[in-house]
Amino acid sequence: MKFIFGFLLIMAVLVALPAVDFVFAAGDEPGEYLDRRVVIWNLFYKMMTVAFIVGSVVSGTIIWQVWRFRESHPKAKPTSYEGTDW
Amino acid sequence: MSGHSNWPEWIYVAVVIALMAWVGAEAWETERLIEHVPADAKTIIVTGQQWFWTFEHEDGTKEIGELHVEVGKAYKFEVVSTDVNHSFNIHDYVVLMDAIPGRVNTVWFAPDKVGEHDIQCREYCGLIHYNMRGTLYVTEPLH
Repeated sequence: MKFIFGFLLIMAVLVALPAVDFVFAAGDEPGEYLDRRVVIWNLFYKMMTVAFIVGSVVSGTIIWQVWRFRESHPKAKPTSYEGTDW
Repeated sequence: MSGHSNWPEWIYVAVVIALMAWVGAEAWETERLIEHVPADAKTIIVTGQQWFWTFEHEDGTKEIGELHVEVGKAYKFEVVSTDVNHSFNIHDYVVLMDAIPGRVNTVWFAPDKVGEHDIQCREYCGLIHYNMRGTLYVTEPLH
Protein backbone atom coordinates (compact mmCIF):
# COMPACT_ATOMS: atom_id res chain seq x y z
CA MET A 1 0.00 0.00 0.00
CA LYS A 2 2.77 2.38 0.97
CA PHE A 3 4.67 1.46 -2.17
CA ILE A 4 1.68 2.20 -4.38
CA PHE A 5 1.09 5.53 -2.66
CA GLY A 6 4.74 6.50 -3.03
CA PHE A 7 4.87 5.32 -6.60
CA LEU A 8 1.76 7.31 -7.52
CA LEU A 9 3.15 10.37 -5.80
CA ILE A 10 6.42 10.13 -7.72
CA MET A 11 4.61 9.58 -11.01
CA ALA A 12 2.35 12.54 -10.30
CA VAL A 13 5.31 14.81 -9.72
CA LEU A 14 7.34 13.48 -12.65
CA VAL A 15 4.64 12.94 -15.27
CA ALA A 16 1.14 14.12 -14.47
CA LEU A 17 1.88 17.61 -13.14
CA PRO A 18 4.25 18.64 -15.99
CA ALA A 19 1.70 17.30 -18.49
CA VAL A 20 -1.13 19.30 -16.94
CA ASP A 21 1.14 22.34 -16.82
CA PHE A 22 1.96 21.90 -20.51
CA VAL A 23 -1.71 21.65 -21.43
CA PHE A 24 -2.92 24.67 -19.51
CA ALA A 25 0.04 27.04 -19.63
CA ALA A 26 -0.28 27.99 -23.30
CA GLY A 27 -3.90 28.55 -24.17
CA ASP A 28 -5.29 30.37 -27.16
CA GLU A 29 -6.89 33.35 -25.50
CA PRO A 30 -5.10 36.67 -26.16
CA GLY A 31 -2.97 38.12 -23.40
CA GLU A 32 -2.75 41.59 -21.95
CA TYR A 33 0.00 44.17 -22.25
CA LEU A 34 2.52 43.72 -19.49
CA ASP A 35 6.11 44.47 -18.71
CA ARG A 36 7.83 41.10 -18.89
CA ARG A 37 10.84 42.52 -17.06
CA VAL A 38 8.70 43.16 -13.99
CA VAL A 39 6.89 39.82 -14.15
CA ILE A 40 10.02 37.74 -14.69
CA TRP A 41 12.18 39.52 -12.10
CA ASN A 42 9.31 39.36 -9.61
CA LEU A 43 9.21 35.61 -10.02
CA PHE A 44 12.97 35.48 -9.65
CA TYR A 45 12.95 37.38 -6.34
CA LYS A 46 10.09 35.25 -4.97
CA MET A 47 11.92 32.07 -5.91
CA MET A 48 15.14 33.36 -4.36
CA THR A 49 13.28 34.15 -1.14
CA VAL A 50 11.87 30.63 -1.02
CA ALA A 51 15.23 29.11 -1.91
CA PHE A 52 17.12 30.96 0.83
CA ILE A 53 14.49 30.25 3.48
CA VAL A 54 14.32 26.56 2.59
CA GLY A 55 18.11 26.42 2.42
CA SER A 56 18.55 27.95 5.85
CA VAL A 57 15.81 25.79 7.45
CA VAL A 58 17.21 22.57 5.97
CA SER A 59 20.84 23.33 6.79
CA GLY A 60 19.82 24.60 10.24
CA THR A 61 17.88 21.38 10.90
CA ILE A 62 20.86 19.27 9.86
CA ILE A 63 23.28 21.28 11.99
CA TRP A 64 20.93 21.09 14.98
CA GLN A 65 20.46 17.33 14.54
CA VAL A 66 24.19 16.71 14.26
CA TRP A 67 24.82 18.72 17.41
CA ARG A 68 21.86 17.32 19.34
CA PHE A 69 22.40 13.64 18.55
CA ARG A 70 26.12 13.33 17.90
CA GLU A 71 28.51 16.13 18.59
CA SER A 72 27.14 17.03 22.03
CA HIS A 73 27.81 13.54 23.32
CA PRO A 74 30.63 13.65 25.90
CA LYS A 75 32.37 10.73 24.22
CA ALA A 76 32.09 12.11 20.69
CA LYS A 77 35.44 11.97 18.92
CA PRO A 78 36.53 13.17 15.53
CA THR A 79 36.56 10.49 12.87
CA SER A 80 39.82 9.19 11.46
CA TYR A 81 39.31 11.53 8.51
CA GLU A 82 39.59 14.55 10.77
CA GLY A 83 42.59 13.13 12.61
CA THR A 84 42.78 11.63 16.08
CA ASP A 85 45.44 13.91 17.50
CA TRP A 86 43.37 16.01 19.87
CA MET B 1 5.71 2.57 15.55
CA SER B 2 7.41 2.03 18.88
CA GLY B 3 5.50 4.55 20.86
CA HIS B 4 7.07 7.75 19.61
CA SER B 5 5.18 10.44 17.81
CA ASN B 6 6.10 11.26 14.24
CA TRP B 7 3.88 14.28 13.67
CA PRO B 8 6.84 16.63 13.14
CA GLU B 9 7.78 14.57 10.10
CA TRP B 10 4.29 14.89 8.67
CA ILE B 11 4.29 18.63 9.26
CA TYR B 12 7.67 18.81 7.54
CA VAL B 13 6.34 16.81 4.56
CA ALA B 14 3.23 18.99 4.38
CA VAL B 15 5.28 22.18 4.45
CA VAL B 16 7.55 20.90 1.69
CA ILE B 17 4.58 19.88 -0.47
CA ALA B 18 2.88 23.22 0.15
CA LEU B 19 6.04 25.13 -0.78
CA MET B 20 6.51 23.08 -3.95
CA ALA B 21 2.89 23.67 -4.93
CA TRP B 22 3.26 27.40 -4.33
CA VAL B 23 6.51 27.62 -6.30
CA GLY B 24 4.92 25.64 -9.14
CA ALA B 25 1.82 27.81 -9.15
CA GLU B 26 3.81 31.05 -9.23
CA ALA B 27 5.97 29.82 -12.09
CA TRP B 28 2.90 28.56 -13.93
CA GLU B 29 1.13 31.88 -13.56
CA THR B 30 4.17 33.80 -14.79
CA GLU B 31 4.46 31.47 -17.77
CA ARG B 32 0.78 31.97 -18.55
CA LEU B 33 1.10 35.75 -18.35
CA ILE B 34 4.13 36.13 -20.55
CA GLU B 35 3.25 33.50 -23.15
CA HIS B 36 -0.12 34.94 -24.12
CA VAL B 37 0.35 37.40 -26.94
CA PRO B 38 -1.95 40.46 -27.05
CA ALA B 39 -4.45 40.30 -29.90
CA ASP B 40 -3.11 43.44 -31.60
CA ALA B 41 0.57 42.45 -31.50
CA LYS B 42 2.46 42.94 -34.74
CA THR B 43 4.43 40.01 -36.01
CA ILE B 44 8.12 40.31 -36.78
CA ILE B 45 9.91 37.31 -38.29
CA VAL B 46 13.38 37.08 -36.76
CA THR B 47 15.84 34.99 -38.72
CA GLY B 48 19.12 33.98 -37.19
CA GLN B 49 21.97 32.81 -39.38
CA GLN B 50 25.73 32.78 -39.10
CA TRP B 51 26.32 35.47 -38.02
CA PHE B 52 23.62 38.14 -38.21
CA TRP B 53 19.95 38.77 -37.52
CA THR B 54 17.34 39.61 -40.14
CA PHE B 55 13.99 41.12 -39.20
CA GLU B 56 10.95 41.04 -41.47
CA HIS B 57 8.00 43.26 -40.59
CA GLU B 58 4.36 42.54 -41.40
CA ASP B 59 4.47 44.87 -44.42
CA GLY B 60 7.37 42.92 -45.89
CA THR B 61 10.14 45.39 -45.13
CA LYS B 62 13.35 43.83 -43.93
CA GLU B 63 16.10 45.04 -41.68
CA ILE B 64 19.48 43.49 -41.09
CA GLY B 65 21.33 43.97 -37.82
CA GLU B 66 18.92 46.57 -36.56
CA LEU B 67 15.26 46.61 -35.65
CA HIS B 68 12.96 49.61 -35.42
CA VAL B 69 9.82 49.36 -33.32
CA GLU B 70 7.42 51.90 -31.86
CA VAL B 71 7.00 52.58 -28.19
CA GLY B 72 3.78 51.38 -26.54
CA LYS B 73 2.97 48.70 -29.12
CA ALA B 74 3.19 44.95 -28.75
CA TYR B 75 5.35 42.86 -31.04
CA LYS B 76 5.40 39.14 -31.50
CA PHE B 77 8.69 37.70 -32.67
CA GLU B 78 8.62 34.52 -34.71
CA VAL B 79 12.14 33.29 -34.26
CA VAL B 80 13.64 30.95 -36.87
CA SER B 81 17.09 29.84 -37.96
CA THR B 82 18.44 28.87 -41.36
CA ASP B 83 21.56 27.04 -40.26
CA VAL B 84 22.48 26.22 -36.67
CA ASN B 85 20.99 26.92 -33.26
CA HIS B 86 20.99 30.56 -32.21
CA SER B 87 19.22 32.39 -29.43
CA PHE B 88 17.54 35.75 -29.88
CA ASN B 89 18.11 38.02 -26.91
CA ILE B 90 17.15 41.59 -26.07
CA HIS B 91 18.72 41.75 -22.66
CA ASP B 92 17.16 45.02 -21.52
CA TYR B 93 13.64 43.70 -22.14
CA VAL B 94 14.28 40.14 -20.91
CA VAL B 95 13.46 38.73 -24.32
CA LEU B 96 15.18 35.40 -24.90
CA MET B 97 14.15 32.71 -27.35
CA ASP B 98 16.07 29.97 -29.12
CA ALA B 99 16.26 30.03 -32.90
CA ILE B 100 16.17 26.41 -34.01
CA PRO B 101 16.30 25.19 -37.63
CA GLY B 102 12.92 23.76 -38.61
CA ARG B 103 11.01 25.38 -35.77
CA VAL B 104 9.15 28.63 -35.25
CA ASN B 105 9.46 29.83 -31.66
CA THR B 106 7.49 32.84 -30.53
CA VAL B 107 8.07 35.47 -27.88
CA TRP B 108 6.46 38.87 -27.47
CA PHE B 109 7.23 42.17 -25.79
CA ALA B 110 5.91 45.72 -25.60
CA PRO B 111 8.61 48.40 -25.31
CA ASP B 112 7.59 51.16 -22.91
CA LYS B 113 10.35 53.73 -23.44
CA VAL B 114 12.11 55.33 -26.37
CA GLY B 115 15.71 54.20 -26.59
CA GLU B 116 18.38 51.95 -28.05
CA HIS B 117 19.06 48.45 -26.81
CA ASP B 118 21.45 45.64 -27.65
CA ILE B 119 20.35 42.56 -29.50
CA GLN B 120 22.64 39.60 -29.24
CA CYS B 121 22.95 35.90 -29.91
CA ARG B 122 22.91 33.89 -26.69
CA GLU B 123 23.69 30.43 -28.06
CA TYR B 124 27.22 29.67 -29.19
CA CYS B 125 26.85 29.36 -32.96
CA GLY B 126 30.34 29.33 -34.38
CA LEU B 127 33.38 31.49 -34.96
CA ILE B 128 31.76 34.94 -35.05
CA HIS B 129 29.08 34.21 -32.44
CA TYR B 130 30.59 36.87 -30.20
CA ASN B 131 29.79 39.52 -32.79
CA MET B 132 26.33 38.34 -33.82
CA ARG B 133 24.76 41.50 -32.50
CA GLY B 134 22.17 44.02 -33.48
CA THR B 135 20.48 47.14 -32.19
CA LEU B 136 16.89 47.65 -31.18
CA TYR B 137 15.61 51.18 -31.80
CA VAL B 138 12.44 52.05 -29.91
CA THR B 139 10.99 55.17 -31.47
CA GLU B 140 7.96 57.42 -31.07
CA PRO B 141 4.94 56.25 -33.07
CA LEU B 142 5.03 57.65 -36.60
CA HIS B 143 1.27 58.07 -36.79
